[in-house]
Amino acid sequence: MEIRFSPAEEAFRAEARTWLEANMPRTPRPTALRARADYDLAWQRRMYDGGWAGIAWPREYGGRGATLMEQLVWYEEYARAGAPDISTLFVGLNHAGPTLIACGSDEQKAAHLPRILRGDVIWCQGFSEPNAGSDLASLQTRAVVEGDELVVTGQKIWTSFAHIAEFQELLVRTDPEAPRHRGISWVICPMASRGIEIRPITTLTGESDFAEVFYDAVRIPLRNVVGQLNDGWRVAMATLSFERGTAFLSEQVRIARRVDELALVARTVPGPHGRRRAIDDDEIARRLARARAEVAAMRAMSYRSISLAARTGVPGAEASLIRIFFSELVQRIDVLAMDILGPAAVDRPEIPWTKSYLGGLSQTIGGGTKDIQRNIIGDRFLGLPR
Amino acid sequence: MDLTLGAEQEAVRDAIRGVLADRLPSSRLRVLLNEPSPMDPDVWREAGSLGWFGLGLPEAAGGAGYGLAEEMLLFVELGRALAPGPWLGTVLAARALADAAGFRDVLAEVLAGTRPVAVVDDAGNALGGDGRLAGASDAVADADAARALLVLGRDAVRWVAADAGGVTLTPAASIDPTRRLARVRFDAATGEPLPVDAGMLRRVARVLVAAEAVGIAERTLEASVAYAKVRQQFGRPIGSFQAVKHRCADMAVRAEVARSLTAYAAVALRDGDADANRHVHEAKALATDAALANASDNVQNHGGMGFTWEADAHLYLKRAWVLEHQFGSRTAHLDALAAAWRE
Repeated sequence: MEIRFSPAEEAFRAEARTWLEANMPRTPRPTALRARADYDLAWQRRMYDGGWAGIAWPREYGGRGATLMEQLVWYEEYARAGAPDISTLFVGLNHAGPTLIACGSDEQKAAHLPRILRGDVIWCQGFSEPNAGSDLASLQTRAVVEGDELVVTGQKIWTSFAHIAEFQELLVRTDPEAPRHRGISWVICPMASRGIEIRPITTLTGESDFAEVFYDAVRIPLRNVVGQLNDGWRVAMATLSFERGTAFLSEQVRIARRVDELALVARTVPGPHGRRRAIDDDEIARRLARARAEVAAMRAMSYRSISLAARTGVPGAEASLIRIFFSELVQRIDVLAMDILGPAAVDRPEIPWTKSYLGGLSQTIGGGTKDIQRNIIGDRFLGLPR
Repeated sequence: MDLTLGAEQEAVRDAIRGVLADRLPSSRLRVLLNEPSPMDPDVWREAGSLGWFGLGLPEAAGGAGYGLAEEMLLFVELGRALAPGPWLGTVLAARALADAAGFRDVLAEVLAGTRPVAVVDDAGNALGGDGRLAGASDAVADADAARALLVLGRDAVRWVAADAGGVTLTPAASIDPTRRLARVRFDAATGEPLPVDAGMLRRVARVLVAAEAVGIAERTLEASVAYAKVRQQFGRPIGSFQAVKHRCADMAVRAEVARSLTAYAAVALRDGDADANRHVHEAKALATDAALANASDNVQNHGGMGFTWEADAHLYLKRAWVLEHQFGSRTAHLDALAAAWRE
């Protein structure tokens, strides 16, 4: 057991830190969606030119091909430097790209991977439907083969950045007769196709990054199917195994900083009775201390999970434990911030802590609700009967 | 960086687990807990012959040449097995005696498992700071089986022979039948100072208590999962119901939190990491938290059986409560962590 990094890993850390300090964007991220996307794309291009794009992507596809330990170091340094969240580029870099690497044809890889990596293009996801959320395999958007095309009709929902994306990773039902996991196909959908209508969804934060996407006889070339027709469930799952416990490495550095900042805030704002400072309240102080302890636990869990993955070559099942612990920890910290800020949290809802609290409510919904996450832990990690 | 067990550490853990499963199964524990002192002297001597008390000592001092990481593994296993006896005091005593001139024979007995030692936590120096001890300490664990006391003060560590004059043990009615507690009174008793850093030894103690709590958190998770798979109601195993399944999932998360953070803290302390002390406080707070919550959920998951004396569920919960109050409660550790912010 060892918590120190090797000299080679420390050298990699120094290199990453130096490069990030010299190249990180210094201007604040714009709020308007298109401007934000352009900002993200320009930053991605800069990382590409510096040789840091696609840290986990294999070298043969232009990525950095970093080891798991190097990825860990990179994500820590990335967050420590305060570099921007990959946000609008998430689906392309962490989802569609890895899926194409695992299951795409040579033609598909050549057409899309370099553009994703260089920061030329934004992708979005088309998985969830109004009646297929946690139960994704019940999706109903139909695609019928006509000649060398698929004709898609149906509706997707919760699609982030649909209005600015050039492509979508789209799951459609191509065989309605087959068992539900076997009749699905994974398709590259050009968002400029005729018959696509996008309706923004305003979330409880007041922002509209989400959309519903409607498909009315949208024609997509058959060659855009990734993997085999009707094999889309396996293709979608292949992406998930690309994730090796590195998902929360930047996040744990960010939440560690948030707790430290919150402790500073608690030294300046009045306590719950309007007297003294918030930090002088025992309950507030203990909740802060506990939050910081839990952030340390988060790091220890991530380190242990990555050590296991590095040793065995496969992602550990404890990643599901880390995920739910992280999402609920973020929410505990958000609620603690609301309590520390007191009335300021409600009469100035534009302040970052309040925005973070409201936005954080999605932590236990997106990508599988906390109830589904607990089912996954129970079924797959603990082996409990379904 | 590698927070997994190496092959040798796995072997150490498996060997310890095997011996404890063989010598201290639940049926044996049930016999022992009715004894005046629940420690099994045969198990104690066997542990000595296997080198368990000197895992963290250099080979030159009669130890195994390992360190705090391996001692932590021992205490996880002791927690899982609810092993009775003054394990903590004896392991700490071996560390404290390792460099003490004039204690060679005593150290040999401690390591051989013929001289169990209980530890008296005196962080506030209530017993005085020098070679004459006066005052009383409550809730001293496993003093019933001890042949010596290690008094761990704020700045000094002192050795007190159990048969020394001026030492009086008064058994208390412990919540935990496998871990007896006592009030120890010192009336100008002689304590021989040992050449060891009291602060460091206290941090080691906290890590090892946390490790025992990790064992409780793990074992109660396993017990609940095993029961939820076989216990049928409404024609289905109860583990198929989300209410039970989700409670088990939460137990798994807590066990992972406790296990990972305690391992991190142990290695940080071993290696002299700058944040080690903070992580020790964090590990002690969250590991006992996990032990208490999991042991309590384990009672619930066993339903009516969980409320009986016959089921083991209550033994883990009671042990967790004793651990909570050994070497600082959660509240005390959280307050220590928050202190810097409140200056």
